[in-house]
Amino acid sequence: MDTLVSNLSLGFSVALGLQNLALAFLGCLVGTLIGVLPGVGPVATIAMLLPITFSLDPTGALIMLAGIYYGAQYGGSTTAILVNIPGEATSVVTALDGHAMARRGRAGAALGIAALGSFFAGTVATIFIAALGAPLTRVALLFGPTEYFALMVMGLVFAVVLAGGSIIKAIAMIMLGLLLSTVGTDLETGDQRMTFGQPFLWDGIDFAVLAMGVFGVSEILRNLGQPEERDVVRGAIGRLLPNREELRQSIAPVLRGTLLGSAFGILPGNGAILAPFASYAMEKKLSKDPSRFGKGAVEGVAGPESANNAGAQTSFIPLLTLGIPANAVMALMVGAMTIHGIIPGPQVMTGKPSLFWGMIASMWIGNLMLLIINLPLVGVWVKLLKVPYRLLFPAILVFCCIGIYSINSQATDVLLIGLFGFVGYLLTRFGFEPAPMLLGFVLGKLLEENLRRALILSRGSLSTFVTEPISAGLIILSALLLIVAIIPNIRRGRDEVFAE
Amino acid sequence: MNEIEPRQRDAGRAIKAPQNFAGGLALAGVAGLALWLLSDLNAGSLSEMGSALLPRALAIGVGSLGLIIAGVALVRHGSAIEKTELRGTVFVLLSIGFFAATISSWRIGPVNVPGLGLMVSAPFAIIIAGFATPEARLRELLALAFGLTPVCMLMFGDLLNLPIPILPAFLIDSLPEGWSQKLVLRVTAAVMLCISAGLFATERHLSNSTVDGKQD
Repeated sequence: MDTLVSNLSLGFSVALGLQNLALAFLGCLVGTLIGVLPGVGPVATIAMLLPITFSLDPTGALIMLAGIYYGAQYGGSTTAILVNIPGEATSVVTALDGHAMARRGRAGAALGIAALGSFFAGTVATIFIAALGAPLTRVALLFGPTEYFALMVMGLVFAVVLAGGSIIKAIAMIMLGLLLSTVGTDLETGDQRMTFGQPFLWDGIDFAVLAMGVFGVSEILRNLGQPEERDVVRGAIGRLLPNREELRQSIAPVLRGTLLGSAFGILPGNGAILAPFASYAMEKKLSKDPSRFGKGAVEGVAGPESANNAGAQTSFIPLLTLGIPANAVMALMVGAMTIHGIIPGPQVMTGKPSLFWGMIASMWIGNLMLLIINLPLVGVWVKLLKVPYRLLFPAILVFCCIGIYSINSQATDVLLIGLFGFVGYLLTRFGFEPAPMLLGFVLGKLLEENLRRALILSRGSLSTFVTEPISAGLIILSALLLIVAIIPNIRRGRDEVFAE
Repeated sequence: MNEIEPRQRDAGRAIKAPQNFAGGLALAGVAGLALWLLSDLNAGSLSEMGSALLPRALAIGVGSLGLIIAGVALVRHGSAIEKTELRGTVFVLLSIGFFAATISSWRIGPVNVPGLGLMVSAPFAIIIAGFATPEARLRELLALAFGLTPVCMLMFGDLLNLPIPILPAFLIDSLPEGWSQKLVLRVTAAVMLCISAGLFATERHLSNSTVDGKQD
């Protein structure tokens, strides 16, 4: 407990510095600004804004990126409520009752309850991370290459199982991502792998290039194919503070959502996506009058929004303690950290405590800022929502081009985002999800390195992964999970959760 | 996820799920390409992994999954391939290509392209991209291009100092003695913003007058 307090106070002393405070504020503001734009999710937002953090010191850059993440996340909820366009999967449920509330003239209350619930969830999740960070890191330090490899396999299996849609396609996408990560010079042997003899591929495919192509450019290509229908709430936003009745109804859902979200968020694979769905289903089941759901029930906003935010935050845990990103956003964070010369993993906490705890403290500050920024600025966001897409996408595209060029000063990177954008667009046309591919890509290098080391230690025997106890446990868990997911009955139930 | 189409409609089709069939074959194709590229590399052994071991295993995995997906698509019904928006794709990729080709100077053999910098590349890229949608209006796009470019110039070039060429190479060469690049950057940005504001004002004026005209 004492260490928790002293760690957090170290964190707050870093995060409350004038520069870091300003960066957190700027991050939240810009993140919300871009995240509010319809059709731009958190991944695209972070990918696009990554370059503006380059000139900062690592702590400041990560604090700003975390702010951008929360901002984008909250911006997604705002569009879900006001326009019925969820920015990403986690705010799909918010759109159901949030938009219904908005149509009944309670848009302000829906936004208010979303912000208040998110703030509460964020506070709890921050304490959760601070408390779990140290013990988990200690466990992680005991891990050798064999255990790490098994852990990464488990993370990827979770990603397959928790993602919606076809399992075989998700596995194919992960393997494709892993395959892409092996392009470039092999560090062990010095061989050029799949580079076509081109110097710009010698260092491998840049993560930012892949992410910006697959999430930024192909998103634009996809949106252009669809006729624009935007159901912006025309009427007044109404009072921002929920009334007493709505507050009373929201307290229990917020608490339950926070718990669910914190628990789901830790899961490797994209647990945070599942949390709002689970929370919505739970509130509907517990409600005295389930028929209100879908027609503007405040519980249907309060629960999932809290779950969403808690999950978004606790999904930092696997990244910060084990160095394993749980989802595409965390994968981007790995990219950002690597650019600043930080290799995510247990050594960050012990080696750079002020960075680690400063980032955690800034999470809470970020949540507070969101509350302060968003409620008064709702009017601005509504105006932004009315900007037609025909003017938005050229701007987004040019931001992507400038951003990617300024990373390495290479015109080929700009061409590559076009190529990957097109490939990503084709993939979605063929019914494949690009997110698992990105996750596989990020884990690829680490996976190969640990596999190689584990096999050297075991003198080439693959059985080491099932004879070492910790690794065996992780592998068995992954296998069980995969089997359970493939059994059709359970899968059908899972699909229903997503269809709801 | 995939909607099952009515059986009657695609009873005559040899391929029951064209979307999956094409996707599966595409994966198999990528895997084939990877295997071909890896063919001259050494896989080594498990105790001493060569550079080709993991990628080759992954390529075989991706290829077999692709073939399974394509095979299943022959017998199980699934979605058709949606129509691809050609215009959007072409203009967006053209815009990216233009930006990549003109942002900095480069030469391949006899071809020598001078760098145009953000000041010229960005507005053209914006306008080209704008035409990706049939709703494009040149005047509006011009206003956007002249408004957004100076903001980008000031933010990325002046404020953040990112390594991106801002001014065209020929302009830098012909700068009079004593003029700093930052100064030129700020002055051009201001001029462009004024042009954009003018364009927006006349655009609004024009659209207002046409609305008025209709009401009359």
